[in-house]
Amino acid sequence: MNLLDINNLHVKLEDEDRSILNGLTLAVKPGEVHAIMGPNGSGKSTLSYVLAGREGYEVTEGSVTFKGKDLLEMEPHERAAEGVFLAFQYPIEIPGVATMQFLKVSLNAQRKARGEKELSTPDFMRLVKDRAAKLNVSQDMLKRPVNVGFSGGEKKRAEILQMAVLEPSLCILDETDSGLDIDALRVVADGVNALRSPDRAMIVITHYQRLLDYIVPDYVHVLSKGQIVKSGDKYLALELEEKGYGEYSKDAA
Amino acid sequence: MSTALMTTAAEQALGLALPHRRMEEWRWTDLRQMIDKPYPPRQSVTARDADIDRLLKASPFSKIAATRMVFVNGHYDGKRSKLVNGAIESRAVASEPVLQMNQAFATDGAHLVLSGVIDTPVELVFIATDATPRAIATQNVIEVAAGASATLIETHIGEGSYLSNSVTEIRIGDGARLDRVKVEHDSADAVHLAHAHVTLARDVTLREFTLTSGAKLNRQNGTYNFTGEGTDAKVSGAYLIAGRQHADSRLVVDHQVPHCTSRELFKCVMDDHARGIFQGKVIVRPHAQKTDGKQSCNALLLSETAEFDAKPELEIYADDVACGHGATSGDLNHDHLFYLESRGIPPAEAKAMLIAAFVGEAFETVEHDGIREALADYAATWLTYHRGKRP
Repeated sequence: MNLLDINNLHVKLEDEDRSILNGLTLAVKPGEVHAIMGPNGSGKSTLSYVLAGREGYEVTEGSVTFKGKDLLEMEPHERAAEGVFLAFQYPIEIPGVATMQFLKVSLNAQRKARGEKELSTPDFMRLVKDRAAKLNVSQDMLKRPVNVGFSGGEKKRAEILQMAVLEPSLCILDETDSGLDIDALRVVADGVNALRSPDRAMIVITHYQRLLDYIVPDYVHVLSKGQIVKSGDKYLALELEEKGYGEYSKDAA
Repeated sequence: MSTALMTTAAEQALGLALPHRRMEEWRWTDLRQMIDKPYPPRQSVTARDADIDRLLKASPFSKIAATRMVFVNGHYDGKRSKLVNGAIESRAVASEPVLQMNQAFATDGAHLVLSGVIDTPVELVFIATDATPRAIATQNVIEVAAGASATLIETHIGEGSYLSNSVTEIRIGDGARLDRVKVEHDSADAVHLAHAHVTLARDVTLREFTLTSGAKLNRQNGTYNFTGEGTDAKVSGAYLIAGRQHADSRLVVDHQVPHCTSRELFKCVMDDHARGIFQGKVIVRPHAQKTDGKQSCNALLLSETAEFDAKPELEIYADDVACGHGATSGDLNHDHLFYLESRGIPPAEAKAMLIAAFVGEAFETVEHDGIREALADYAATWLTYHRGKRP
């Protein structure tokens, strides 16, 4: 069974009469890594926000089914508890909320929603310590407010740490490579690769092929004008790197 | 005061005229109109021991203070007070008139002389028990001796319908440090009027925080007179109000000498139809060069019907100073909310976290860990009690 089924999805902005996704169809099975590439403005980030449930978008046609359930009917926190995780392109800074507290409240809210027992503080601390060490996230970062004063690389590592702690079944990585130098990219990619597993799928959204050298996808899709216009394997990404997006921008017009 | 106005029932009961909106400082808090029933002064009421003990236990600081003076319905309760001999000279004194209403009917008050280094907090608890509606007035004098260091907690707590008038005069000596925390947790049917008059000498450190959460009607004045160089004062506060509560704080920071620093930070949360007001004035006298004075207030409006008014004023007569003010007002940040929710936190809980984070910034002024945690707990309880699982 597919983990995620996006079928003929049409999305417009709530406040404007501008459609962004125009009949997007994508099926993702557990264990698969799908890369979605495309020029700026092709709808990549919109897709990630619609899957996570951000307000401001209106689905005018089509459906999204996740683990056999209607994803679009769920609130953002319900989607998270069900296993959807979005690693933000620009992680949000939240002054006054300590990273550690945020992680604990998130994890236990999800566990509660799934009818699981909440983790005790010592068990939680052990879990975070273990995951944080692997991602080079310092104790100092964990004590600071969520993302406040973090460098670009620290923010992305913190996103992956959240992912490692929450253990979602669908990870959506939105331009995770943006703003990272090559060393930071390697740390983040290693963190993501460590989370690859037969029952977890990933959608990796990226403008550049570079990230896919480190997170090697099973499938590559080209998104243009809100539709998937071409699909292939990892070699499609190399081809795009060489030729650019010019061809796709014109074709879909 | 205008004689053309008809005397209200409240004024008759008090035997004096109340301020009204045509007086600039009172434009948002028209006591003539807002005190809508009589609170006669000097009512002799009987307080049940069980009531007093319950209210005392409800103080967020019941386990923190080592020295404690308890006032019940305006009268000193020696039996429940805990006075430590030695470093602190404490006694309850007959009142001394300072402000008009207080002058008319103040009963008891604390006169504390704090000297040396006092490690554990001193608490003044003002309790009002449920009885006939009445006015209660206390007058306190706090003297912090030169070189002394102390933490003073002032807790106002009660049940029933009453008007509480609390006047506090604070004098802080050379090189002294005072950490003052006030919690206003009066009954939902109470009126709370307060005036704190603070005089700061040379090289003083003042850290002051006021939490305003109780009473239907609140007006708190604070004046801070800088009379010695090298003094540093941080005055902060938080409002947690809902329903039809009204809270108005007016601070006057008066820099009379050079080389002093003042900071005011107020974080105000208003829900339902609550109305918050912050009036802050910084005066820099002609000789007060090198003054560094900043004030800011931030309002968080949790409903469309909540309201906040800010009136920041700078009155600067010196030419070599760094002064500024800022005021903001808005609802919760939707990006912050989405981020928390996208990690599985339900909306009500996500909002509570963000509100707690918002007021938490003002709690930072409180350096005593136990007190700061008690304040955070108080805020968490307020959020649960007043907002519950509201979206």
